[in-house]
Amino acid sequence: MNPQHLNASSLKSRFTRRFLRALTKINAQKPISSSSPREIFQRYGRIKAAADKSMANSVRSRRTWSRAMLWKLRSRSYRQASSGRRSAVKTSTTTSHQAIRKKTNHEKENKPTKTGEDQVGFVVQADELRELVPGGEAMDLCNLLDETAHYIKCLTTQVQVMKKIVDFYSL
Amino acid sequence: MEPNTGTAETRSNGTASDGDDVAALESLQFTDEIHRLISATTTNNASSFTALLELPAPEAVELLHSPESAKLMAAPAPNIEDFKASFHFPSNSGLIERAARFSLFAGVGNNNNNTSNSPETPSNNPSANPQKAVKSEPAETESSEPLVSDPTVEKRCIKRKDREKKVKGSTKKSKTAMNESSEDAEKLPYVHVRARRGQATDSHSLAERARREKINARMKLLQELVPGCSKISGTALVLDEIINHVQFLQRQVEILSMRLATVNPRIDFDLDSIFTTESGSLMDSNFPSMVMPLVWPEVQVNGNRQQYQQQWHFDALQQAVWGREEVCNNYITPENSLLSYDSSANSATLHSNQMKMEL
Repeated sequence: MNPQHLNASSLKSRFTRRFLRALTKINAQKPISSSSPREIFQRYGRIKAAADKSMANSVRSRRTWSRAMLWKLRSRSYRQASSGRRSAVKTSTTTSHQAIRKKTNHEKENKPTKTGEDQVGFVVQADELRELVPGGEAMDLCNLLDETAHYIKCLTTQVQVMKKIVDFYSL
Repeated sequence: MEPNTGTAETRSNGTASDGDDVAALESLQFTDEIHRLISATTTNNASSFTALLELPAPEAVELLHSPESAKLMAAPAPNIEDFKASFHFPSNSGLIERAARFSLFAGVGNNNNNTSNSPETPSNNPSANPQKAVKSEPAETESSEPLVSDPTVEKRCIKRKDREKKVKGSTKKSKTAMNESSEDAEKLPYVHVRARRGQATDSHSLAERARREKINARMKLLQELVPGCSKISGTALVLDEIINHVQFLQRQVEILSMRLATVNPRIDFDLDSIFTTESGSLMDSNFPSMVMPLVWPEVQVNGNRQQYQQQWHFDALQQAVWGREEVCNNYITPENSLLSYDSSANSATLHSNQMKMEL
């Protein structure tokens, strides 16, 4: 990698910045002396969520998959935060959840009428792809391919950066 | 706008009343051009990723015949060669050259200007588009241009096409030749969807065909993005490969975050120093100094850990995106580099600089 070339606002640098910040926060929370699998698993969950969150935040809301991912993470964190206590927050999120689900269901209903003539036979793979790409349920094939391409690009960046961080830590 | 929209149309289907012999002449000219084009366009590479993501995919060319342009045929024939000479296109844009030429045709006819060799003639809107498109073509790796997707144009073209089908002339051969070229002609900046022989010409199937072309273009991009996909033929298999790749990447993220969870971060490196300092100067000044005192403070901790991490690091090296020699050197001689170091603060900043450089 060319050490001279660091685009200040590239996807990679944005992601790295956010992820490292989140990582230091997570590490500061719990001093890692315990090696119990449960603790490690919890940390793993937090780190993974932090990675996804920082990636989605680096893309902001420009892409459907980032919006869907952010929404998912937020609703998950709300649910976790409110699991111990009664919450108006939870109900509000669930209602918004239902609203969004209704919207996507409506769009989904419109789709089967069109698939007869439009799809060229990739329905199975398209559905699989829809499961994989966050937010892919409510997109037609054309946009889905677009989102997949951008998602793959971001995932590769994420993997690269995380690999480097791991190597850096393991030195 | 009708004559202007007709500018992008070819006149191979010479169905005009007086255009039979002219049409034959034109068709003769076209066929060898078409052969040239077909051989040229088959060597196209897929586009750059960012270019396609920012621009909608190109659609197929709609080659229509406009009855008004029939009378233009005779006049600008001698100008063809001059036009050809005046265009400097990249090798894979012979089609655009043709389209530009024809647009200049109609432009000439519309303006009643026979001396149209000057570059001012492509001041007409439709002819300006190919020129603009051509100029931006070299800037982009593929001609995935934004489209002048005008549904009204399409409707008008549909009507004209129906008319043309009824009047069908003797130029069946040229039409099939144009069919071939239309399949390759995804580079023209207009929304042109060719209604091939025996296919429906209603707007629905046209739109569908345009959509399918878009999807195919995106599939090509994805093929480029996913390693090992370019050899696979058949969209279903390519999609399977894409799905596998996405799953693989997601698993990798999980595995890496698991590794991060288990690794014990002893260094609290200084984020500010990484990102606020000027990247260029910092890297330049530190790079030579970085080479030798690359410290592995973990090595100090205890022997077992050292063994483990060295092994781990060796494995990681295999897949590291890194590629610098001093890492290998330091792997071989960790003790030497260690001796020069005491404070972890120094190591922290140095490591942060190293991180910054790599990133």
